[in-house]
Amino acid sequence: MKFTVRDLVYIAIFGALWGAAEMTIGAYLHVVYPPLTYAFIPGLIMAAIGITIALVGRLFVPRAGSVLMMGLVVAMLKALSIGGVKLGPLIAIVAESLLAELGLALAGQPSRLGFVLAGSLAVLWCPFHKPLVGSILLGQTAYKMLLGMIGRAARLLGFDARHGIAVVALLLLIHIAAGGAAGWLAWDLGGAVRDRLAR
Amino acid sequence: MGNPRRTLGLWGHLAFLLWTLALATLAPGAKVILVLGLAVAFSALCAGWREVRRWRLWLFAASVLLVTSFVREKDLYLLGLGTSAEGFWLGLWMALRAASIALVANTFAGTVPVVEMARLCEGWGLRGLGFAVGVAFNMLPTIRETAEEAFNAMRLRGGFKCHRLEALKMLLVTIVAGSLRHGDEIVSAAEARAFNPESGNGEPVRPTPFDLAFIAVLVTVGLAILAW
Repeated sequence: MKFTVRDLVYIAIFGALWGAAEMTIGAYLHVVYPPLTYAFIPGLIMAAIGITIALVGRLFVPRAGSVLMMGLVVAMLKALSIGGVKLGPLIAIVAESLLAELGLALAGQPSRLGFVLAGSLAVLWCPFHKPLVGSILLGQTAYKMLLGMIGRAARLLGFDARHGIAVVALLLLIHIAAGGAAGWLAWDLGGAVRDRLAR
Repeated sequence: MGNPRRTLGLWGHLAFLLWTLALATLAPGAKVILVLGLAVAFSALCAGWREVRRWRLWLFAASVLLVTSFVREKDLYLLGLGTSAEGFWLGLWMALRAASIALVANTFAGTVPVVEMARLCEGWGLRGLGFAVGVAFNMLPTIRETAEEAFNAMRLRGGFKCHRLEALKMLLVTIVAGSLRHGDEIVSAAEARAFNPESGNGEPVRPTPFDLAFIAVLVTVGLAILAW
């Protein structure tokens, strides 16, 4: 990946904007929401905000790898922040930027549709983040035990397994929609910023 | 051996992180105790007892053990409470495995400087990352100032009393545009100094002889643990 000085400065600016959002809004959401809801509400909100900023940045640095670079800058800013190093959010930020890059690469030319795809893919990481990190930490046995527990709880409460599948599908749909909206908004915001700078 | 932080480089730390991840995954049952023992020793040598003393890590491990003891078929009754011996052992290995990985990952993140991580990424083809991180860090106060000025200007003109979403969008546009204008000044300054991102941020991080010897020991010990 080759970037000019201007590209790198713009990457730094959008990385700093995303990092500032993580350190202010992200920290606030951590306090407001209890830890167990993290994977859903605060994670979803922060992923959507972050990827909106990164995709606006992509309009100003239209080169492959720029969103990934922004993600790495944010991860390093977070590592340097007062709260100290927390691996979970760092992995999430890098994974989201990688998925956004994948979406942009699949779309080819920069377009609103490409931004929507990139945003959806990036935010879709959130529901998989905790299970994936958990499986690395605890191993597959943990999941067999967890599924056993869920099955027993469902039988106890008289729930059908299909309800669980419907809930998971709804959760994924919410994430795809939020990511798509972030991509759509990023395209509009980027255009508005361009107009403002051209004045 | 002296202070390991001075002798063991980035490659040594990275190797130990990967080694722990591999061993904690591949070594079954009681062998994880050995992996955790080595992880505690490594962490204590590199970061003092700071990482080992983090109570959250051990609370997490204890909670895993507690939960799993009540999940499987109950075959043990202690003080009238039914627990599972199988669940206890499975939970113990899971807790030890999680504690080993989390401890070494925290030690890696806490002891390896961000500058070295940026240099490592630059070595993998992400040229200019160190420069971008430096600029981003210096941009944070500017962004805060720009955001405060824009917010106060809009608020004083009654910008948030109606059309709040439109006002929020205008605020974001103002912050981004203001930051980019400031960025243009940084670009001019960097170009005036003939800064070239291709020249990189110093020499790429290479493994030291101590790192290589350490990696050889890790491979030998890892194979011995797996074969045992």
